[in-house]
Amino acid sequence: MSAVSLAPGGGAGRWLAARFALREMRGGLRGFYIFIACIALGVTAIAGVGSLAGSLTDGLARESRVILGGDLSLGLIHREADPAQIGYLASRGTLSTTASLRAMARAADGNAALVELKAVDAAYPLIGAVRLQPDMTLAAAIAERDGVYGAAADPTLLARLDLKPGDGVTIGNASVEIRAEITGEPDRLSIGIGFGPRLMVSEAALRASGLIQPGSLVRWQYRLALPEHQADDRRLSDLRADVTRRFPDAGWEIRTRTNASPMLERNVERFTQFLTIVGLTALLVGGVGVGNAVKSHLDRRRETIATMKALGATGTRVVAIYLTQVIVLAAIGGAIGLVCGAIIPFAVTGLFGAMIPLPIEPALQPGQLILSFIYGLLTALTFALWPLGRAHDVPVGALFRDAVAPQPAWPRRGYIGAVIACAAMLGVLSVVLSYDKRVALVYVGAAAATFLLLRLVAAGLMAIARHAPRARSTVLRMAVANIHRPAALTPTIVLSLGLGIALLVTVIEIDGNLRRQFTAALPEKAPSFYFLDIPSDDAGRFEGFLRGLAPAAKLEEVPLLRGRIVAAGGTQAENLKPSQDAAWVLQSDRGLTYSDVVPVGSRVVEGQWWGPDYEGPPLVSFEQKIAQGLGLKVGDPVTVNVLGRNINATIANLRKLDWESLGINFVLVFPPNTFRGAPHTHMATLTYPDGGSAAQESAVIRAVARDFPTVTTVRVKDALDAIGGLIGNLVLGIRAASAVTLLAAGLVLGGALAAGHQHRVYDAVILKTLGATRRRLLTAYLIEYLLLGVATAVFGVLSGSLAAWLITSQLMNLGFQWAAIPAIAATCGAVALTVVLGLLGTFSALGQKPAPVLRNL
Amino acid sequence: MNGNSKAGPAIALAGVNLSLGEGAARVHILKDIALNIGRGEAIGMVGPSGSGKSTLLMVMAGLERADSGSVRVTGENLGALDEDALARFRGRHIGIVFQSFHLIPTMTALENVAVPLELAGVADAQQRAAQELSAVGLAERMQHYPTQLSGGEQQRVAIARALAPDPAILVADEPTGNLDEATGTQIIDLLFAGHQRRATTLILVTHDPALAARCERVVRLRSGRIDGEGPA
Repeated sequence: MSAVSLAPGGGAGRWLAARFALREMRGGLRGFYIFIACIALGVTAIAGVGSLAGSLTDGLARESRVILGGDLSLGLIHREADPAQIGYLASRGTLSTTASLRAMARAADGNAALVELKAVDAAYPLIGAVRLQPDMTLAAAIAERDGVYGAAADPTLLARLDLKPGDGVTIGNASVEIRAEITGEPDRLSIGIGFGPRLMVSEAALRASGLIQPGSLVRWQYRLALPEHQADDRRLSDLRADVTRRFPDAGWEIRTRTNASPMLERNVERFTQFLTIVGLTALLVGGVGVGNAVKSHLDRRRETIATMKALGATGTRVVAIYLTQVIVLAAIGGAIGLVCGAIIPFAVTGLFGAMIPLPIEPALQPGQLILSFIYGLLTALTFALWPLGRAHDVPVGALFRDAVAPQPAWPRRGYIGAVIACAAMLGVLSVVLSYDKRVALVYVGAAAATFLLLRLVAAGLMAIARHAPRARSTVLRMAVANIHRPAALTPTIVLSLGLGIALLVTVIEIDGNLRRQFTAALPEKAPSFYFLDIPSDDAGRFEGFLRGLAPAAKLEEVPLLRGRIVAAGGTQAENLKPSQDAAWVLQSDRGLTYSDVVPVGSRVVEGQWWGPDYEGPPLVSFEQKIAQGLGLKVGDPVTVNVLGRNINATIANLRKLDWESLGINFVLVFPPNTFRGAPHTHMATLTYPDGGSAAQESAVIRAVARDFPTVTTVRVKDALDAIGGLIGNLVLGIRAASAVTLLAAGLVLGGALAAGHQHRVYDAVILKTLGATRRRLLTAYLIEYLLLGVATAVFGVLSGSLAAWLITSQLMNLGFQWAAIPAIAATCGAVALTVVLGLLGTFSALGQKPAPVLRNL
Repeated sequence: MNGNSKAGPAIALAGVNLSLGEGAARVHILKDIALNIGRGEAIGMVGPSGSGKSTLLMVMAGLERADSGSVRVTGENLGALDEDALARFRGRHIGIVFQSFHLIPTMTALENVAVPLELAGVADAQQRAAQELSAVGLAERMQHYPTQLSGGEQQRVAIARALAPDPAILVADEPTGNLDEATGTQIIDLLFAGHQRRATTLILVTHDPALAARCERVVRLRSGRIDGEGPA
């Protein structure tokens, strides 16, 4: 027989690692269920979020013409387009004109409600159809019949004013008959949040109402449907450019079907990013489980690895074998996650489709699925490479009975480098693909810091336990020793429980703060009402009326105009690069005012306020934070389009505002001379010193609707309820995504405790042989888990609260108030769960009979 | 042809010292060992527990590095090889039989025997493994997993595995330590048959004087030193 070939390799050599790896896995996946579940959960979360968001984006894209109401939409505030503009638009396609505004609808019994009024022409809607109940055409519903204008209303309005089809309401000075309920409005999504139910009337009815006054807050919308042969993207883009070129000072907001609902798309992207981050957290927490599973698998395989090395396998080959297994397992987990994640958009539309007012187009999203699979694989590698690297140097001496060769705790540099490379790829991927890179960067940094901190907490705990004075009680001594002995569960429990509690506290605190902000008690100085569209000429009379109605309440009244920043600091608005906090100012028309004194609730922090009789060139006062976000300073030029006229002003000063007071705050304040003679309205707030009662508020609504039918009354509580409902949905989404992460943390914790089971059995048997009772052992374990749980909980609560504070105050720009009771209650629950899980695992260990175990040691 | 073609002894040790453990627990296990073992020779290594027999065996098999001194096996200076080169060297030149068999529990008997051949890139690894298993009388048990085999059978698989790459040197550490007397005798017969048939150098660590007596030469260790040697 000849000696073996000296040249390994060839086809057989290349596949050797895979062959050996698969051979080992023939016995099934026992011991890897937690590994697979951890990856599957994380991938499901990311794939699900991505698929749902992709399906929604697809839906928005597909429905973009319907949502926009045409191919091109031009919006004007305060005023209508002039005949030349209308003539041009009408020459390019089919034109439809609508006007939207907030108004009060008053029922015959005197009750009144805020409505989102929309007046439409005969061409509306250009695309899609308004669905009505009872079934009729929109034209029939809103037509003038026997001198009475018709209307269609959202069912909510009918419920609110206790009306039924056929009943009448008064809008401004016009009476309309509600003939149908609106069950579907095709372009509803392009508007954003409404503060009242929809009421749809004809343009003639709106004009008859007297609500269109100079300066009243009417949004005129001109939608254009292009002839089919001229409707391609290039011609659309050319048309947009042509409109801008022909009417440079029109000041309209132009949207095409390619950006039909930019706000909604931005919100979808923002929320997707947030949920992806939660999914990534689930994956990272799961990564700890992967690391644990790989470590205990390799611990069990130590003898096999040593044997292979004794038979000629190099360390690299050993690693290749087990790396192959890790990849196969990660692929199995990833595949399960992909399937579950891919199903989510279908399941959501199938189960809740009717309740979701969004055009979700469920479809497989290959890009999102591949990405989530890559995330899963990279996470598995990041956490598995460390224990795998250590397997490289498993000493063959372990096979000999008197061998005492220790294994180094750190793997070789190459493996450490590979761990860092995989972690870096994960980080880079999540930052590069994110909507808001700043948030993603903060997340990556925070995740890395949390992992590091938790390792340090674990190391610190072990060090404290190691150096703690020897307890006199044997039970306590055992418990403390269990915390710091080699192969102790401390690092794993601290990591999984710490991450779990930190996340739980973060979610609870954000949840609580959001709810407090929008749904709980209002700030004491918050007004009860906003009154809009007070005609300039009536401002004095209205003020006197309100003072008579609510003599104790505080009344504030200011002129209100709408304007759009078209250039700032010498740069066109579309070319500005605003900070995240300041971007909203450029996104649409903003309210602005004029005043000869510094407005209440703000103070000048830079520059000088103009004098009371200022008559010089246009100046403007800017809110400080927004100015900083736009890169502006005192002395910079700003161009604002108001009522179709570009006003070139210089920044005279910067102000600080208290936004949360809900008072009347404006980013831009001009000197009175800027708008002298310009048509505009006023707005007012009414604040009761004691917050006001429901009866007082109801009386105000009825009285204002009766005596000032064209004034719109916004009850702050109603507006906040509308936002509160939206926040409630967001919080629900956050909770659902966080539940996945908490489940992963629970899995990891359970897995870690299960992995320690063998050690527990060994300890229990030896200690029982030496005379320890089961009760004593149980007490020792209880103390150990409690010590670990409580120490970790302290860290979890601190870091979770810190994260919640950062997110609430820095990202959301909201006030933060720490809610102690829910955070502590949740933490106690998590610690109790850990102790129970731990004791459940050890309980069976306590029941082991010593002899059979000892024979097998 | 067995192993390295260079002339000279199969194993040449000179001034070998080895300590294990860290700090206060460090123990000087092998002290100034010098030993030459000829090609095809059978050596019995005896001595009390803790005398360093197994450690010396590990040094000769390239499983443990000497702190000082020279270790040459089939002419190769093991001190000059890195970990991976040592692993490859073992795979080609050294067969090892352990007291506790150390079969891979997730592989069948056939696959266990094929492992060193596959690691060395032998194309017909499975066929050769099957021949080796037949040679130790386990032709009928090839597809059985270690847990389905008796202790004697497991050790026979281990011997087949050690001999499969046709190594120049066969080392056995208390190969009958976990077996009853009758089974132990069969195992020893197999080991010596392999040694004689292939002219493999055999190094046998044992507590059993009778077993050592079957070797051509016996080396006695005591407290990490060679306390004497001579014909069995």
